[in-house]
Amino acid sequence: MSDTVIVARGLVKDYGRTRALDGLDLEVRAGEVYGFIGPNGAGKSTTIRVLLDLLRPTAGEARVFGLTPAAGGPALRARIGYLPGELALGGRISAGEHLHHLAALRGGRGRDAIDALAERFRLDLARPVRTLSKGNKQKVGVIQAFMHEPELLILDEPTSGLDPLLQYEVLALVREASARGATVFMSSHVLREVETVADRVAVIREGKTVDVDSVAGLRRRAGQRVSLRFAEAPDAAAAAAIEGVEQVRVDDHTLTCLLRGEPNELLQWAARGRVLAWSARDRDLEDLFLDVYRNHGGLAAAEGDHDAR
Amino acid sequence: MRAEGIASFVRVWADHRRGVTGWGAALAGITFMYLAFWPMMGADMQAMVEGMPEALMRALGYDRIGTAAGYLEAVVYGLLGPVLLLVYGIGLGGRVIAGQEEDGTLELDLAAPVGRSRLYWERLAAVWALITTLVAITTLAVLASGPLFDLGVSVVNVLATSLAMWLLVGGFSTIALAVGAATGRRGAGVAAAAGLATLAFVFRSVADAAGVDVLAALSPFAWMLGGEPLVHGLDALGAAKLALLSVVAAPLGAWRFARRDLMV
Ligand SMILES: Nc1ncnc2c1ncn2[C@@H]1O[C@H](COP(=O)(O)OP(=O)(O)OP(=O)(O)O)[C@@H](O)[C@H]1O
Ligand SMILES: [Mg+2]
Repeated sequence: MSDTVIVARGLVKDYGRTRALDGLDLEVRAGEVYGFIGPNGAGKSTTIRVLLDLLRPTAGEARVFGLTPAAGGPALRARIGYLPGELALGGRISAGEHLHHLAALRGGRGRDAIDALAERFRLDLARPVRTLSKGNKQKVGVIQAFMHEPELLILDEPTSGLDPLLQYEVLALVREASARGATVFMSSHVLREVETVADRVAVIREGKTVDVDSVAGLRRRAGQRVSLRFAEAPDAAAAAAIEGVEQVRVDDHTLTCLLRGEPNELLQWAARGRVLAWSARDRDLEDLFLDVYRNHGGLAAAEGDHDAR
Repeated sequence: MRAEGIASFVRVWADHRRGVTGWGAALAGITFMYLAFWPMMGADMQAMVEGMPEALMRALGYDRIGTAAGYLEAVVYGLLGPVLLLVYGIGLGGRVIAGQEEDGTLELDLAAPVGRSRLYWERLAAVWALITTLVAITTLAVLASGPLFDLGVSVVNVLATSLAMWLLVGGFSTIALAVGAATGRRGAGVAAAAGLATLAFVFRSVADAAGVDVLAALSPFAWMLGGEPLVHGLDALGAAKLALLSVVAAPLGAWRFARRDLMV
């Protein structure tokens, strides 16, 4: 078996005259947790629906476990757990009956896990699905996606509509699935929701992949905001000359800058003077993504002008 | 790994078991009530309609209303039965694929390890099963009314007429499901089926009133009742034409459903 679970190459999808995907590329490796980040309308749900064979590509190709979703058919979908982005549950039947129905559609797989998962998420299985609150419906969606322990989880905004406790519980499920070897592909508007669990992240915008990197790599590239207060006014030009130091600003005796990479050289330089106070904090990745959303050209372009705005 | 048995079929039943109970009770009650009038007004009925213009009488199917078979046809099989059952069946046919696709409640089923045609045929079968239940209840109400209200219509002929009604209602419901599944629009399925059923009804009434045979030849209502099955028994050719509605519509819907984008 190949070690890429999801591949998309030049994927294009049109809805009538609207181009939702415009040559999207993806490569998700076996066993990784992959974040799929993009603003509203970027094409996340469209991509996911292509992977589940709900939509057929206009051009380009998508493969899951080496098969196109159409060729893979039911046997391919049996290996996937899917949580829709806008989950609609209807009918008079109870949450429990609904979950048992979905288990039956999978040949009974996952049936034994329903009770334990319902207890874990404190979901009342006797309630008719129609009468469940949004969060409780989302619980049904989460349970059905995970209950049969699929090899691949495709989760479209899994934590939306859930309170922080449940968000945490869903991310815990993702970690557990990952620990048993499953591959997880999850979308979100915001990096914050996936950064604690994702190994790698793809950023998409207007139907194209803008950037792919590990969360650690993103962090490194995002850098740290460093602030140093000296006894005497520091030499801004000297600081700016240090490798990895950018956007130096001196305000009275305080120097602030953006540091990418190791802090060693900057600290040695600073120690030549008398440092009264210092701080270094990770730049908020979210800020970086806001810029990606607004700008073309991906993260590289966004990084430079972030603090200049 | 494949779906167990007929999970999609079972699901439609579970979603509609309450509705079908209510409809069954209503159909049985209405059938009973109307047939209960027969002993009281049977003889007077003939007198009452005699003053009517002949064309109107025939259009309403009242020309033979003075006989038990004529009364049963005019009231149950010519009007109330098909109309109520069509309202139910067309609504149901539009709902179980297109309607649920539109409101999103079919998404998890479509993403499950079930082929699209399997899902289609099982849901269609469930629609037929629900319709069969209601037709059976209506038929039982007619059969029970027979001796009670002194209708004196043969059991075999009642069954033959019910069979034709079953094929007619099933046919238009299948059209609603098939057009809905082909387009992804519940409205399109319901409009196509209800429109065709209305045309069929009007064609038969006009054909009866004015004696336009072309219209009768085109009307499934005429295929159902033209051979007077309550008097003469099963009209095999009529029944075959009624079956054709489903036999043509169902595979076309399945073919298109398997090929198009879903949930758009
Ligand atoms: N059924 C549809 N018909 C027409 N256009 C559509 C349809 N569904 C989506 N689109 C368009 O395709 C584009 C991508 O939509 P998609 O739902 O994939 O985005 P998304 O990234 O999932 O957004 P969100 O974060 O809001 O869920 C958008 O421009 C959207 O307006
Ligand atoms: Mg979406």
